[in-house]
Amino acid sequence: MSFLSSIAHHIPDWIVFCQALIALLVPILATRIYKTLHSFVGTGKNLDTNKVSQTLESTRAATPFSGDYQTDLQAILSKIGSNSDLHTREFPLTKLNARGTLFCVDGMQNERILNMKMMEFLMFKATGDVLAEPSKAEDLLPFSSLSTISDIDNFNRSVLFGHAGLLIEGMPHGLLIEFPNGANRSIDEPVSEALIRGPRLGFSEVLSENTSMLRRQGFSDQLEMKSYLVGTRLQKDLVIAYMKDIVNPDLLQEVQTRVNNLNSDFLADSGYIEQLIEDNYLSPFQQVQNTERPDRVINALLEGRIAILLDGTPFALIVPVTFSMLLQTPEDYYERWIPGSLLRMLRFGAAFVALMGPALYISLIAFHPGLIPTELAISIIETRQGVPFPALIEVLILEVSIEILREAGIRLPKPIGPAMGIVGGLIIGDAAVQAGIVSPFLVIVVAVTAISSFSIPTYSAGVTLRLLRFVSMMFAAFLGMFGTILFFLLLCSHLTKLKSFGVPYLTPASPFRATDWKDLFFRAPLSLMKRRPAMLKTKDSKRKS
Amino acid sequence: MYRSYKMIFLYLLLPFVLTGCWSSKEIEDLAMYTGMALDIGQPAPIEEEFEAKGAEYSKHNKVMTTIQIVPMKTVGTKDKNNTGSTKKPYLNVSGSGDSILEIFRQFSIRLDRPIIGHHLKVIVISSKLLRKQTIEQMSDFVLRDNDIRPSTKVYISQGDAKETLESSEPNEIPSFHITGMYRNQMRTSKVLDFVTLSKLDALMKTKRSFVLQNLVSGGGQIEFSGAGIIKGSSGHWIGNLNQEDAECLAWITNKGKAGAIKAYDWDNQPLTYEIKSIKSKISPHVDEGKISFKVHLAVEGRLIETWNKNNIPSTNYYAEKTSKIIEEKFAKMVQALMNKLQSKYKVDVAGFGNRLAIVYPSVWKQVEDDWDDTFSRSEVNFTYDISVTDFGSITETE
Repeated sequence: MSFLSSIAHHIPDWIVFCQALIALLVPILATRIYKTLHSFVGTGKNLDTNKVSQTLESTRAATPFSGDYQTDLQAILSKIGSNSDLHTREFPLTKLNARGTLFCVDGMQNERILNMKMMEFLMFKATGDVLAEPSKAEDLLPFSSLSTISDIDNFNRSVLFGHAGLLIEGMPHGLLIEFPNGANRSIDEPVSEALIRGPRLGFSEVLSENTSMLRRQGFSDQLEMKSYLVGTRLQKDLVIAYMKDIVNPDLLQEVQTRVNNLNSDFLADSGYIEQLIEDNYLSPFQQVQNTERPDRVINALLEGRIAILLDGTPFALIVPVTFSMLLQTPEDYYERWIPGSLLRMLRFGAAFVALMGPALYISLIAFHPGLIPTELAISIIETRQGVPFPALIEVLILEVSIEILREAGIRLPKPIGPAMGIVGGLIIGDAAVQAGIVSPFLVIVVAVTAISSFSIPTYSAGVTLRLLRFVSMMFAAFLGMFGTILFFLLLCSHLTKLKSFGVPYLTPASPFRATDWKDLFFRAPLSLMKRRPAMLKTKDSKRKS
Repeated sequence: MYRSYKMIFLYLLLPFVLTGCWSSKEIEDLAMYTGMALDIGQPAPIEEEFEAKGAEYSKHNKVMTTIQIVPMKTVGTKDKNNTGSTKKPYLNVSGSGDSILEIFRQFSIRLDRPIIGHHLKVIVISSKLLRKQTIEQMSDFVLRDNDIRPSTKVYISQGDAKETLESSEPNEIPSFHITGMYRNQMRTSKVLDFVTLSKLDALMKTKRSFVLQNLVSGGGQIEFSGAGIIKGSSGHWIGNLNQEDAECLAWITNKGKAGAIKAYDWDNQPLTYEIKSIKSKISPHVDEGKISFKVHLAVEGRLIETWNKNNIPSTNYYAEKTSKIIEEKFAKMVQALMNKLQSKYKVDVAGFGNRLAIVYPSVWKQVEDDWDDTFSRSEVNFTYDISVTDFGSITETE
């Protein structure tokens, strides 16, 4: 009896049970909410494949060429003839005693070559036997990029996209003879990922140029590129590139499925694809890396990753991505390993400051004055005595104005940009201190934070950290250092659970893969990196034979 | 369904409304105290005025506590041109009572900002107070308090402790000055190792006698002057060691590594020897229950100053001759110290007991309880090995 009562003595009161219940309910509720939100949108993974392909089929009811020149011409003109930029030129084929029509869109073809070479050939040289048999025509026409099209709608689309189309009397299909040759930008240095040392080459907007840049990286028959047409209304070319003998087939299958499932009427940029195929749309972290550097892409391919290139954008996508990739630059490998490691660790430190700087300031100033060195505490008190706001408001004022400045800096024309930075950064900062709105110490904190976030090599990762910085500030203002640590733990638990195409986001840190640590915070000498990253489970793990 | 989710969202947003309220204390709304002085109890002048008007509470005035609050509050925007050259950067607040915490809470009804103890750097206790109260009583609160760091330094003052927290320098915070003074230890062994609260705690718990550096104030300046002895068994202050004794004590206990020794040479002219290194070895001996100690001091140094008109050539002969003089001086200083420790105060503050406990643990167990007495009866022999390594940058020939 006394034994039982001694146990009863240790049973906590109802408050403890309530707390335990709340502690149990909070994560359950959070997961519930998360799952519901997720099911509203879904991911690239769980789209219905069949439905999409069916809808695509149904929209393309084919109208074949009839074979009768006049009917076909009328059919084409009735569909696309009202376009003011469509040029049609009807001409006689003298040796053949037939007629033909050339279609092309303004600005997409080099008119002089079209006129001189093709018209000359077709009008005066093309003989009967060239076009006598339709099957032979392809072999005998002197154009390298020649294809036949038997569907009028398809023909129309191609002509409007910029191909030169040819319709010849007596042939039961249309011919496409020249690729589009629209206005293009010259190849430039990658603006968003500049390097001191390393190739200066950056992708351009033309898919064929981009793929050729990848091909020119080296001699290999294992670099495979597969082309897809994406977009239901305005269709675009998309290329998946990978090393055939390295890539994990499951991963490749997954990427192909997700690309096949893309269901959007137009994909303006690779950013659309990124958002449509990513695993978790609620995460603040990107699960696909974007880059305009061919060297970065080819290195990723050799690690066993897959690249997705889209026509019309200089940004290629790399999947899967891990957190450490966002803080690495190709330069880490181009420089010797000691400076490379140093700079990489510096970047990890900078990322931490960019994320936590203002939060630490708030929690130290408003919650833990005992953690500041005494002399510093005195000078902070002296400078903050005139400041009328609590720490959070003070930080928000400066942080928000810095973010506005940064946003303004992007919009401004190039000659004004730097001047604006000086005006904004120096003058506003100094004036705010003089006016007693913020303390000088905070100006240092905000400036260091801003500079740190600039040192992150991937722009989109930098934006993520900027966003999370505000969240961390809220946590810090709410619960001090405890809140800051809580925020960091929440972030870590989210990252641990996050996956990019089946690869855990935080690997090799979690799940722990000791062999991959030599390329995490620290970049081991190249001679030590004998194997590809274990996290990708590649077919061929050895880098050296 | 959607309604309930909306409600949950609202609840999740609620914490953000609380932002900045929860246990947040802005640093500028707090008052840090960096120095604390404990004096013999008597109402502080301001308190007397208050009490004359009837503002009082029940107390017996056993101790007076003074805290040094930094920085002073400045009003309005800061003018860079005159950074208060006339104003002191600190504020000393005093109050008397029977409990240090109660006195602190009395401060709270006088100040506009709550005081926080995280940045307490130095505690000065007046020797007069320690004659009346024990050191355990005086340090009980500061050891219990969670904010006050165990790294806080503890000193004894010969006069009023609160005077050591005053400074005549316009832009100096006295508690920082005291905290920084130990840096001169590399120059002279008269600066003893500082005793932190955590070390004080250990010393008090073992009931061993120890010394605390003594502070003397005068004319708005302060000086380290020797050390005050705290008797382990009682916890009271029993007397002071003068500067040379303190220096000697540091050498014997292997804590001091520097210092200058001035003696008078064969022509009765000042001759100064600068210590470069000093090593002391205390070896205890137990002979039929009789405890004795041998202390060997190996000193290396140089002749750094002489007022003798005649040359002191840089030869071995003169090196030995000067080292003899230094050795005599050394012996004199050590003898003076040992007299005080063994005859006058009868305490062991030089760690002889420690050595005995290490070498003869069984003997130590027997004498542990009244070690101070046993020590005062023990024989201590000193041997010296003093060498003059060089004569500075001047070379003289015979």
